[in-house]
Amino acid sequence: MKMKTKPRRKAQDPEIFFNRELSWLAFNSRVLEEVEEAATPLAERAKFMAIVTNNLDEFFMVRVASLKNAIAEGDTTPDSAGLSPAQQLAVVKEMAALQLKRLHQISERDVLPSLEAIGIRILDFSDLDASLRAGVVRFFKDEVQPVITPLGIDAARPFPMLPSLSLNLAVLFEPEKKDGDPRLGVVPVPAALPRLVRVPGADSTYVRLETVVLSQLSSLFPGQAVRDVSTFRVLRDAELDIDDEGGGDDFLSQVEDEVHGRRRSQVVRLDIDAKASEALLSQLVSRFPGAEPLVYRIQGPLDLRLFFQVLDLTALDSFRDPAQRAQANLVPAESADLFAVLSRRDVLLHHPYDSFETVIDFVKQAAADPQVLAIKQTLYRPASDSEVVKALVAAAESGKQVTVVVELTARFDEASNIRWARRLEDAGAHVIYGIRGLKTHAKATLVVRREPQGIRRYVHLSTGNYNEKTSRLYTDIGMLSSDEALGRDLSAFFNTITGFSDPPAMQRLTMAPMALRARILSMIERERRRAEEGQPGLIRGKMNALVDEDIIRALYAASKAGVKIKLNVRGICCLRPGLKGISENIEVVSIIDRYLEHSRIYHFWNGGDEEHYIASADWMPRNLDRRIELMTRITSKEAMERLSTILDWFFEDNQKARILEPDGTYRRRKPGKGEEPARVQMRLYEDAKGRADKLRAVPITLEPIKRDSQS
Amino acid sequence: MAAPRKRTLTRKPKDGAQPPPKEPPKPFAALDLGASAVRLVIAEGEGDAMRIIEEVARGVLIGKDTFTTGRIGQPTVEAALHALEGFRSIMDTFGVVRYRAVATSALREATNRDTVLDRIRVRTGIDVEVIDGSEENRLTYLAVRESLKSLPEIATETCLVAEVGGGSADLSTLHGGEPAHSGTYAIGSIRLRQSFAAFQGTPTHFQRLILRHIKNVIADIRRELPLDDVKHFIALGSDARLVARVLGRADSEPLSAFPRDAFLKVCSEIAVLDVDTILATHGLSLAEAETLAPALLVYSELVRATKAETITVSNATLRHGLIFDLARSEAGLGIEVFSRQVLASANAVGEKYNYDTRHARHIANLSLRLFDELRSEHGLDLRDRLLLEVAALLHDIGLFVNLRAHHKHSQYLISVAEIFGLSRDDLLVVSNIARYHRRGLPQRSHIPYMALDREAKIVVNKLGSILRLANALDADHQQKVKNIRVRPEDGVIAIEVEGAGDLTMERLAVLARSDFFQDAFGRRVIFREVTRGDSS
Repeated sequence: MKMKTKPRRKAQDPEIFFNRELSWLAFNSRVLEEVEEAATPLAERAKFMAIVTNNLDEFFMVRVASLKNAIAEGDTTPDSAGLSPAQQLAVVKEMAALQLKRLHQISERDVLPSLEAIGIRILDFSDLDASLRAGVVRFFKDEVQPVITPLGIDAARPFPMLPSLSLNLAVLFEPEKKDGDPRLGVVPVPAALPRLVRVPGADSTYVRLETVVLSQLSSLFPGQAVRDVSTFRVLRDAELDIDDEGGGDDFLSQVEDEVHGRRRSQVVRLDIDAKASEALLSQLVSRFPGAEPLVYRIQGPLDLRLFFQVLDLTALDSFRDPAQRAQANLVPAESADLFAVLSRRDVLLHHPYDSFETVIDFVKQAAADPQVLAIKQTLYRPASDSEVVKALVAAAESGKQVTVVVELTARFDEASNIRWARRLEDAGAHVIYGIRGLKTHAKATLVVRREPQGIRRYVHLSTGNYNEKTSRLYTDIGMLSSDEALGRDLSAFFNTITGFSDPPAMQRLTMAPMALRARILSMIERERRRAEEGQPGLIRGKMNALVDEDIIRALYAASKAGVKIKLNVRGICCLRPGLKGISENIEVVSIIDRYLEHSRIYHFWNGGDEEHYIASADWMPRNLDRRIELMTRITSKEAMERLSTILDWFFEDNQKARILEPDGTYRRRKPGKGEEPARVQMRLYEDAKGRADKLRAVPITLEPIKRDSQS
Repeated sequence: MAAPRKRTLTRKPKDGAQPPPKEPPKPFAALDLGASAVRLVIAEGEGDAMRIIEEVARGVLIGKDTFTTGRIGQPTVEAALHALEGFRSIMDTFGVVRYRAVATSALREATNRDTVLDRIRVRTGIDVEVIDGSEENRLTYLAVRESLKSLPEIATETCLVAEVGGGSADLSTLHGGEPAHSGTYAIGSIRLRQSFAAFQGTPTHFQRLILRHIKNVIADIRRELPLDDVKHFIALGSDARLVARVLGRADSEPLSAFPRDAFLKVCSEIAVLDVDTILATHGLSLAEAETLAPALLVYSELVRATKAETITVSNATLRHGLIFDLARSEAGLGIEVFSRQVLASANAVGEKYNYDTRHARHIANLSLRLFDELRSEHGLDLRDRLLLEVAALLHDIGLFVNLRAHHKHSQYLISVAEIFGLSRDDLLVVSNIARYHRRGLPQRSHIPYMALDREAKIVVNKLGSILRLANALDADHQQKVKNIRVRPEDGVIAIEVEGAGDLTMERLAVLARSDFFQDAFGRRVIFREVTRGDSS
């Protein structure tokens, strides 16, 4: 008997699982709500427009591409929600069309007019007064034309390989001979130039680059009669494994394997101006090899990432979220000698409320300290001009053993990654480019210091990357400590990922892919058993995404046994809460606010012997099976209390919280009767500020400057 | 010799490197190249204040190669080199310079061991020393001893300490907490598995075959170790620890005791499982799973060969013993602090060969007296003193074989004995010392003597001549000499002897047997009889 080639998946249960793609679209829709919200300041709305656009682009390049590939391979296996790839694609296509329509409508009806109302005008070249056109045309002649390559397409000149996300003009020319076929031309809009061109002589007035190019077609194709012209952009299968780290231009990704490399050329989505003729569209579509792309006709300008470009304009300054400064978490004398502080106590940091400077100081001080023997660190996405990298280079140059585990993730960023990785190597650091087949996603630093009493290890463990820039936009929890067990575990972790050791048993850390899934399952299981014995049970979790089927089933079992489960899941959530007899004790809330929620915090009641964790991993198969991740048990009483408070506040938010309903929709949580408005990100900021103020209130001892400290 | 060899790593200096600060304690490292893994322990601090900083293990199947083909194959050598390079890097992390790296049977028995050791030295700068079974036992005892303090029954009963490794089983008996007998037997788990690897059959058949072999070996062991007297069984090794885990013990506990039946039951349950089932249920690596069943068969047969009612599983390992040893030598302590255990073990060997206890002890005392009195002449240390004492205790055991040429029989028996704490090299020195207690002096045709290095020959000459003199002082085995003093005089050494009764025999014997002494120390010996009080 011949075996079926596809391994059988687990039983599907459409009744109890949400489809992850639809759940993701729902998340993006929640972000879009923030634009529609009247209270959201204009600059933030413009930012969210760009982010939603960017998110959708990534979603098509990765998730939709993967669905299309599954269909092409003849895969009809339903997911846990009971939908086959073809069924998923059909729904996704419709939902995405609605979302794109909504996005561009908001842009046309609200964001662009609102910008114009405060003097920022984003126009078509054709909208410009004749007096202003000359300056733009000069710009075209000087700056654009030299870098532009118009392409006529015929038998000798095949259709070009247009880069993913590129914006282009498609031109349909009148046939040369009567009864001949119309010919196609393509003009790529130069990606190296800013999308918005400042109009000389007019304040805060911009024209979109593609409209400038369009206006000058006759100089690009002299003597040819144009029948139709339209802007379009293509999105290709990105061969990327983009993780759910959030929006922005920092969305990096990883090259998977050769199979994906081959598929890279496939166009997944084609956006084209709504006014384009059918003839032009069918000409275009016929040029793309492979399965037909999903086509979206767009009203208004394509690619709304263009809003990124106006965000920094001073005209917008009075239309931003009130400025929030990262707060000091230590008095200056402490910041200056972190080893002294950490040898006495742990320091828990909640970014961006608590300053990321403390983390940078930690690495810098380690690099400069003559007692430090070694520094080991994982670097996933350092900022382009990273202080952390500089400190590591300095440490290696001074003869310390520096080991850096680098994840060369992004194609976009490869050049810059290689540049600093090489700088580290040149300085004598031991640079390891991850582990084959597993992305190193854990965020950890180990400092080995020789002290009079002997060797002491200092650690930093975090839910977020060592990136100064994103640390101001993403919420993350970090922990600095000199705890012996943590140091030993982290040492073992580095020994393992550098290939020096077999994975050992650990006390305070749990590592994926070896042990994390089993550990989480066993803790959920423990809570269930306790509940069955009549003890109160409580599980709280904050994460970016909840997808893992085993974990979801374990949570259902715990809920049935009476365990209260409160989950704060920012993005995708495949768990269906509030189902009678299955998940009625589970509550799922999502927070979308000015900072991207990124921290992962897990809390288990454990019969009163509470356990708190911070982790780099979401509860997704990707994190648990295909990545190197770390979950850290937090044991200091103070830090545990603080994590509990943070979680409390996340479930008390009634301004930016959405409750996931059993039917998959999200409902805004409003303040109940007599309830004060509570906005968790605001409370956390105020709290950090309050603590910083208290620090400043500490009496200052004046120290006279000694002669030798002046110079 | 068994004293921890002091080895240091040279670190490549870097341009502009700051010199490391001097004050804090320097961590030291122990490396162990076993049959299925290479392991590293890093610690710092002296003696009891020692603290372990780092423990690392990497699976490398050296034993599988050695016990199958007799040599270590290229891929395995590469894997070992790779692991050791990593260890070297970890040692650098902590600024380790002092270390001791040892290899056991899997490397010891490999025909290409010298090449492998050289490649390790060249690639990683780590000098690996191949140790023998008795050194292994000594180091393991160091680790066991600490944990056993909490077991009062050890102090009174005879226990068997057993560790089934990949290549061999290391056994030692403890009397009153001190090691008495020890031995290394070729029934290691990897060796067993590889010896019967060609056998194709059910796990039960496989088990029966291995069992028969184990039983044969245990019959031999019984001749050397008093298994019948054993009241308490202490099991070491990762396979024994797995049994403890199955029986519900946490990994972190240093010691845990189980009733005999419970231990045997788990062993027999696991031993019949096939490798796949073991893999699936016990979370082991393939290499560990493959050798688990043979190891547990050895443990259970050993338990059955004793009367032990309780099986105690200990966390102690060779590498922990190594690191304790380094911590002790950091504190300036060598094997001599274990002289009690060494002598207990030597006496056990003596008993095995029905030695004349009183004569042996008397000669030992006289030898030590001479040694101490001659300190300024010989310049030897406490460790050499211990070797002399052992040689004195055992110098006559050759009588067990035959009266004729018994000094030669003594030499042979000592050279193959297992004495706690003494390495094979130590035993060769001791056996030579014993050999020259009578009859001919060293000459070129004496192969065991000629095989010693120069330094060892000198030790044998000095200590051998002392023993020979001491033996002459009890020529008729009556222990008539009560006290002696050594008086270096102009060109001669006068031995003032205080005795009871007629000392003519002794006087004649000393005259006849001071030849060796004269060679070794360049002084003539004068026998001077004194009565009590004369000499002081």
